[in-house]
Amino acid sequence: MTTLDQKPARAEGRKDPWSQLLEKVGKHQDRQAYHALFEHFGPQIKYYAMANGMASHAEELVQEVFVSIWRRSCLYDWRKAAASTWIFTIARNQRIDMLRKMKRTSVEMLVETEDLWQIPGDNEDEPVTSLHRLMSERRIRESLSHLPEEQTTVIAKVYMENKSHQMVANELNIPLGTVKSRVRLALNKLKVILQDQNV
Amino acid sequence: MTQHHPDSLTLMEYSAGNLTEPHALCIRLHLDQCPHCCSRVDTLDSLGAVMMEQQPKVDVSESMFDRILSRIDSFDDNDRELVIRNSVRPSPLHKLLGDDLNSLPWKRQLGDVSVLDISERFPGQQEQVVLQKLAAGGKAPVHTHRGEETTIVLQGAFADQKGVFNQWDFVVLNEQDEHKPVAVGCEDCITLSVLSAPVRLTGTFTRLLNPFIR
Repeated sequence: MTTLDQKPARAEGRKDPWSQLLEKVGKHQDRQAYHALFEHFGPQIKYYAMANGMASHAEELVQEVFVSIWRRSCLYDWRKAAASTWIFTIARNQRIDMLRKMKRTSVEMLVETEDLWQIPGDNEDEPVTSLHRLMSERRIRESLSHLPEEQTTVIAKVYMENKSHQMVANELNIPLGTVKSRVRLALNKLKVILQDQNV
Repeated sequence: MTQHHPDSLTLMEYSAGNLTEPHALCIRLHLDQCPHCCSRVDTLDSLGAVMMEQQPKVDVSESMFDRILSRIDSFDDNDRELVIRNSVRPSPLHKLLGDDLNSLPWKRQLGDVSVLDISERFPGQQEQVVLQKLAAGGKAPVHTHRGEETTIVLQGAFADQKGVFNQWDFVVLNEQDEHKPVAVGCEDCITLSVLSAPVRLTGTFTRLLNPFIR
């Protein structure tokens, strides 16, 4: 991957430690770096599996995600996504993949999970500004800490428990419209909605 | 450049991995042609990562790491090449439907409308997945929608009272939307629709015409 060697010198300092470790795995098959990633992200992914109802397959999911991280690390480009974002998308896809495989054992999967849900950096030709992406992750972390709990609760259920907005409404016993407006308020602060208006 | 985009809530459900395969396909096809929405999904993927980081952690054992190490020992340079090769993926549309949408086994419905139900290509999914073709310059009958219909334009363009929908534009219609689409431009307009429930016709003579009618 030649692109990895063309780092803009100024942005180099902004690479977060996890992205540096992931890059070491990708470039040098560095097992020490891989172990550090496992210690940091393994417990997060195990929680993710348990939160979304895959408790009996939680360890299996963690293993699949880490095998996938190892195999795909050669494709990782820190300018396309921070390591945590890249690893989240791998965890998401492995979860979808496992559920698909459990659901239909014999039917051939014409469209693979990664045809539908892309990992950042795959099949992407357009140049990206790393600064924008790294800022966006930092901004999200900051903005999240200022959101009211009722908004973060809804977002957590969508991302961690993989519940649709309708399911969240049913569970919290509030109207669907309320769930949607909480998400909109949150996404507004996270500047995702703002981007809508520029369309 | 596409003009009609998925809303942020739908993109969030996509980023979280909560959409069904047919719905995810509609989003994917749009993203492939819309850098603007790609950038929104990047932000939402980062939101997912930050959410995951802020949840409780569950201990993982060192023995699990040993099992992972024994699995990765089996991968060599060949696997690396395979991974790199597979990272450049053909469009899912091509995988599903081949490279010529016009020559699919279309079923002529009435007048200008042809359809092709491809639901069976998504085994285990509840929704109906339908391709619709409106002949160039043709009109579809007036109809409303029961439940929700998610549509992406694959070829050509259509217009209704809400505007013109070009290739890769994304639109969601529901009970409130009565419309009478017309194919504009010199090409047949082909759309992919995911229907959560059948469509109801409001005109009198159009019982035959479905997915508009099912």
